[in-house]
Amino acid sequence: MSSPILRVESLVKRFGGLVALGGVDLAVEAGEFRAIIGPNGAGKSTFFNAMTGLLRPDSGRVAFEGRDITGEPPHRVARRGVARTFQITSVFPDLSALENVQVALLAHARRSWNLWSRARVLGTERAQELLALVSLATSAAKPAGTLAHGDQKRLELAIALAGEPRLLFLDEPTAGMAAQERLEAIRLVHRVARELGLSCVFTEHDMAVVFAVATRITVMHQGRVLAEGTPAEMRARPEVQQVYLGETA
Amino acid sequence: MKARHAAPLAAAAALLVLPSGLTDFWIFIAIEVLAFALYAVSFNVLLGYCGMLSFGHAAFFGVGGYTAALVIKQSGLPPALAFACLPLAAMFVSAAAALVIGFFSVRRAGIYFAMLTFAFQMLLYTIALKATPLTGGDDGLTGLKPPGILAQPVAYYYFALLMTGASLYVLYRVVSSPFGYTLRAMRANALRVQYLGIDVRAHRLAAFVLSGAFAGLAGAIFALSNGNVFPGWLDWTASATPVVMAVLGGTASFLGPAFGAAVYVVLEVLISGRTEYWSLAMGIIIVILVLLMPEGLTGLWRRGIVRPGARAVPLPTREAR
Amino acid sequence: MFELIAQYFAWAQNPVVLARQTLAGVSNGMLLFLISAGLSLIFGVLRVLNFAHGALFMLGALIAVSVAALLPDPLSGFAAALIGAATGLALLGAAIETTLLRRVYRAQHEMQLLLTFALVFIAGDAARLIWGREEHSIAMPAILAGRAQAFGLVFPIYRLFLIAAGASVAAGLWLTLYRTRWGLFIRAATMDRDMLSALGVNTRKLFTAVFMLGAGLAGLGGGLAAPVVAVGPGLHVQVIIDAFVVVVIGGLGSVLGAFVASLLVGLVNAFGVLAFPGFAIVLPFACMAIVLIVRPQGLLGTVE
Repeated sequence: MSSPILRVESLVKRFGGLVALGGVDLAVEAGEFRAIIGPNGAGKSTFFNAMTGLLRPDSGRVAFEGRDITGEPPHRVARRGVARTFQITSVFPDLSALENVQVALLAHARRSWNLWSRARVLGTERAQELLALVSLATSAAKPAGTLAHGDQKRLELAIALAGEPRLLFLDEPTAGMAAQERLEAIRLVHRVARELGLSCVFTEHDMAVVFAVATRITVMHQGRVLAEGTPAEMRARPEVQQVYLGETA
Repeated sequence: MKARHAAPLAAAAALLVLPSGLTDFWIFIAIEVLAFALYAVSFNVLLGYCGMLSFGHAAFFGVGGYTAALVIKQSGLPPALAFACLPLAAMFVSAAAALVIGFFSVRRAGIYFAMLTFAFQMLLYTIALKATPLTGGDDGLTGLKPPGILAQPVAYYYFALLMTGASLYVLYRVVSSPFGYTLRAMRANALRVQYLGIDVRAHRLAAFVLSGAFAGLAGAIFALSNGNVFPGWLDWTASATPVVMAVLGGTASFLGPAFGAAVYVVLEVLISGRTEYWSLAMGIIIVILVLLMPEGLTGLWRRGIVRPGARAVPLPTREAR
Repeated sequence: MFELIAQYFAWAQNPVVLARQTLAGVSNGMLLFLISAGLSLIFGVLRVLNFAHGALFMLGALIAVSVAALLPDPLSGFAAALIGAATGLALLGAAIETTLLRRVYRAQHEMQLLLTFALVFIAGDAARLIWGREEHSIAMPAILAGRAQAFGLVFPIYRLFLIAAGASVAAGLWLTLYRTRWGLFIRAATMDRDMLSALGVNTRKLFTAVFMLGAGLAGLGGGLAAPVVAVGPGLHVQVIIDAFVVVVIGGLGSVLGAFVASLLVGLVNAFGVLAFPGFAIVLPFACMAIVLIVRPQGLLGTVE
């Protein structure tokens, strides 16, 4: 069996006296579509931030494709083949949707130091392809800030994909969407991930979404992993019931 | 010829024939406009494109001016040779200053970045004021003249036009390049840009150095036309000048600040010719600018207020802030 | 080698010089505190860097001069001048905040910068228009002039008065910030403005009040400085630079930080002139730059 694409060991993060992550372990195999669930405050976002370089863990180890990336800054982590999306949609509002993806492509091709070529015509084909992949082809010229919320999330996905990542972190990819939109959105991500051979780790509150696409589920609570297993296993576990009920209560 | 090229070409043609219609005094003003236009546009690379507000940009304009003065007066080279080296020398020294200042400043963002640049400008100001053997102290360096025929206002005008035009072209290529796109993305969302694999600090530093270098060139151009350079170029009120020019013209477009510079310089000449209370007038103008037209003159133009019904000249896609 | 160093720092061994410079440093520090406390609070609460604060100080000094000139008796003239300067500037501050500053709170930083710069330009020329170009001063009341003697050393009484005045203002500010409701709001606002308005506090009035307080303090400082400083247009220039240095070192938004840093800068300036005669003026900026590089929130500021 190949080694996991992502392995996290005993990750700890404290904020002053508050222990946000109290020793989290995680192993994700290539091709997985892993859901991380848990109530608010369980530490999911902190976990993402600590794995992707936005926060420095106090102790523990994060390894991607066998290489230690613990504590590396976000831009290094990204260059290794890891991408992420944010809970609060994070695009480049003043640029058009096409330009958003172009910038990502140019950065990935290490052309951000090119001071002379005319960027407007670079990478447009590939950018259009990516926009089409997320069904945004018609909005290419619109400023990203004017797009509808759901469209912005899809644009964010396109931007993340431009970097040809092998691991994609999605922080609440369906936040702010109506129920039906959510299933569509996660199915889109799932389909794209399958097509491109991506491994995904995503956080989610809506259990319908989780059970629709996840290949494995990790339950977090108060900064630790509470339980982990396949969707079938998790459905039966009382902790998951609690989390589920807790969400809909 | 495409329609959208017509306006810039007409403007270029106008600039070429300009001196024939002007007195010597106004030719000097035109040269000042060119220098300050370059100053303002280079400043706006940081503000409009990177979203970085530098309170200390006058430092580079001043460094460029002082470098030019020192090269021309004290380098011991024959005047023609000194003059030939001058633009590169000014840019090089300003770039070096920007590298040092930027290295410390870009580690911080927002107001702390602004205050650091301000602190460094004041440091340079005190050096200019106190290092009398080098900088002439309070009086500065005077008696600066370009060599030979270039001492004629008309000839120097064309020199300034050439330098400014070439520099603006280079800056335009830079902001339209992948690097320029990256800068705009950094302004829009610095967090997301990191996740594209971009080292934000390195890119900001590069933009800072570039901007400082061209501000220095502008200072050098102006110093030789003005005839002198003194510490006042670096004092704290001077830090507002590029900001006023850029905002007046409009920070959302590449050439907006150049317009702003032209309006600013001409206004200053006209107003200070009539009253000694130029500061008061400037203050009132700025208040009007900030409260009523924050998008500057090009912002008004684009909204069709100045020319209703006319199609706006296409600019690189930028949303007005 | 030792003798060279000993010679260089010879002044440090002279108690008269030490005492004189310390007193000068501390009393100048008090004046600086009056300006920077307001500047720091205004930044902490309104998040605006008020470049015009030095101009407010200058206007305070000029108003004090005019008020004092109205009364024949120097003592009552001086008292009236202080009151006039403080209240006059507080009112001016209210006018500025409500008509101009309020419009740019949500605007880009460069708009705020430009607006306060514009106020500097306008105030400078307005001062010239109204008070002319010459320098003015106030006759010091007899009770505050002269010197006191203690420990074999001589102290100008006015400097002692300044120190007492500054300490009283500091105490008053501390009481206001830590013992009143408004003070609580102010402290909370320096940490989280939006939360405060979510809790139902009238932030509009709070902002106006804070600006008035800052302006009033600057005016008071100007009035107190009037007897010992040449009051004329251009006074605002040096003052604002020192105030910025203080506020950065002390921490933007912290009054206690402003107090500590004002004393520090006052003393550095007083002794710097002795230790590094030529380049003493570089010291404050160097300190400012170092603080910003190493610990941008200053000694006592809160991390944003």
